[in-house]
Amino acid sequence: MLHDLVPQLFNGLVLGAFYAIVAIGLSLIMNLTGTINMAHGSFMTLAGYLAYSLVLRGTSFWFALIAAPLICVIVGVLVERTLVRPLYKREPFYSLLMTFGLSLMAEEIFRLIWGSNGVPFSPPAALAGATSLGFMAFPTFRIFIVAVLVVAIVALAFFLTRTRFGLRLRAAVQDTEMIAALGTNTQVLYAVNFGLGIFLAGIAGVLAAGMLGLSPTSGNALLMPAFVTVIIGGMGSLFGSIVGGLLIGTAISMTTLFIPAASEVSMYVLMAIVLSVRPRGLFGEEGIFG
Amino acid sequence: MRARRELAVFILAVVLLACGPLISPLVHLDISILSEVLVTTLAVLSVNLLLGYTGLPAFGNAAYFGLGAYGAALSVTYLHVDFVTAVLAGAAAAVAGALILGPFLLRRRGIYFGLLSIAFGEIFYFIAYRYTDVTGGEDGMNFPRPPFGPGLAHVAIHETQFYYIALVVFAVAMIAFRVVVRSPFGRTLIAIRQNEARVRYLGLDTDRFIFVALLISALLAGVSGALFGLLINFAYPLELDWHQSGNFVLMMILGGAGTIWGSLIGALIYVIGKDIISTITPLWQIFLGALFVACVLGFPRGIVGSLGALRRRRPVDPEDPVSSEAFDAGAPVEVGRGV
Repeated sequence: MLHDLVPQLFNGLVLGAFYAIVAIGLSLIMNLTGTINMAHGSFMTLAGYLAYSLVLRGTSFWFALIAAPLICVIVGVLVERTLVRPLYKREPFYSLLMTFGLSLMAEEIFRLIWGSNGVPFSPPAALAGATSLGFMAFPTFRIFIVAVLVVAIVALAFFLTRTRFGLRLRAAVQDTEMIAALGTNTQVLYAVNFGLGIFLAGIAGVLAAGMLGLSPTSGNALLMPAFVTVIIGGMGSLFGSIVGGLLIGTAISMTTLFIPAASEVSMYVLMAIVLSVRPRGLFGEEGIFG
Repeated sequence: MRARRELAVFILAVVLLACGPLISPLVHLDISILSEVLVTTLAVLSVNLLLGYTGLPAFGNAAYFGLGAYGAALSVTYLHVDFVTAVLAGAAAAVAGALILGPFLLRRRGIYFGLLSIAFGEIFYFIAYRYTDVTGGEDGMNFPRPPFGPGLAHVAIHETQFYYIALVVFAVAMIAFRVVVRSPFGRTLIAIRQNEARVRYLGLDTDRFIFVALLISALLAGVSGALFGLLINFAYPLELDWHQSGNFVLMMILGGAGTIWGSLIGALIYVIGKDIISTITPLWQIFLGALFVACVLGFPRGIVGSLGALRRRRPVDPEDPVSSEAFDAGAPVEVGRGV
């Protein structure tokens, strides 16, 4: 069992990276507009299926990895403009309920188009097999996943902290009315921000499809751990989401190894512990969501 | 005057419902569907108390509902208890669940409370799902419907008897709910919904009020779940899942948040609508999803709430929202982020 420990730990971290990126997308949307996007998992599934269909029609995996999330972004921004936008002025649970309805519809639509059963979606030959890390061999595709997710997170951090648009986004999270009064079109901010969250979900969705399988409910399976990640990391903190995701991934992989029956419950136990010590989550900011 | 009219409406409704077994064959409805409506109403009331009255997004009430169902199923299967004891066992299981989760849930308010409710509720889903030896895991538990119990030890409960038992429980729950929300305690819950900080400044420990509301809510959901389990003779993990919580919230919004009768109307439309549509098309879930979207976007006051607003033809009196019956919980609130 002990010689499984290190590979399993790495698997946990890969899983944690998924949770982190989904949680970051959720956080982005949540922080700016107070919208809890229950359809986030559906966008991941959609990206996975789009990539699957694209590859099936002969495009390369690399093209699909970019194109599928972009199509998701278009769908996402359309949804945001037409369905989510009217709810910004209302209490947040209305948008939660609405997006929950969307995810129910999406799941059934996926079933109609792509069938109830999972479909095989394997990574390209270049990423198949395993790579030696010196002390152990690890599947190449998983290393690739980690690389992509790290690049995505770094790019996002750069965008948010080093560009004027990112600056406006962060300012709007602090005080939307003020940034609007200063002449920024907040509706553009909302749309771009939503699209950004969906783009992250899309990339994670394509990669997850290659690693964890693809079925009408596969994206939603990542949604709940992502919520727990947000709670553990603290709402409003992207760094918290990263730490939270990795913590949960590790906790799940370790319990899978030692107490398999408790593997799902472990993250909730972790959440209960964190909340008892720090009600705002590990890196939660004062004032956001009371 | 007002109380008398309310009593008249209540008696009329109960008499109408008592005729259910006579009416249902005429409209080709199974009597067990009507039982399901009454039973589900209790779960919707439980969401209503937290969300409609106290303003806490209760997205985890399926946990208590499912605990009720499993409490009944386990006690019947392993302890061979009678009907009444099984319902009590289910209710006790749900309240115990709320006692455990309460201290964690109370740490946050607003939408964060909703997220915590969803997430902590999932614990019970996974326990039921994983402990296959005891709970049957994904397949759920089949169990026979036991005889009634005290005094009527050997009286078997068929569908019609079940319906009248459900009706009695329903009537008692409605009266109790009315008493609770009109009591000083209930008024305090509404005050918390409107402005918790102010209630705190008045010297009231809002945590304690919310905790008691949570326990009452869990009790209602637990009784509902136990009766539901006994109705279909089955307990399964999806009863505990947050999708189920979402359905309860939908029914509450559909009927009218913060209205007593809205819970019944919402459950009635949902349960019967589901029964009809799911026999016509396997794509029931698309209709359900569309109903969520349509309700939230176009009909946030719900049926009873909208009727109340029509009748009054004036905005809800913010000073005394309850006495204006269908008060404003379901209507757009001009606060919130991102305005």
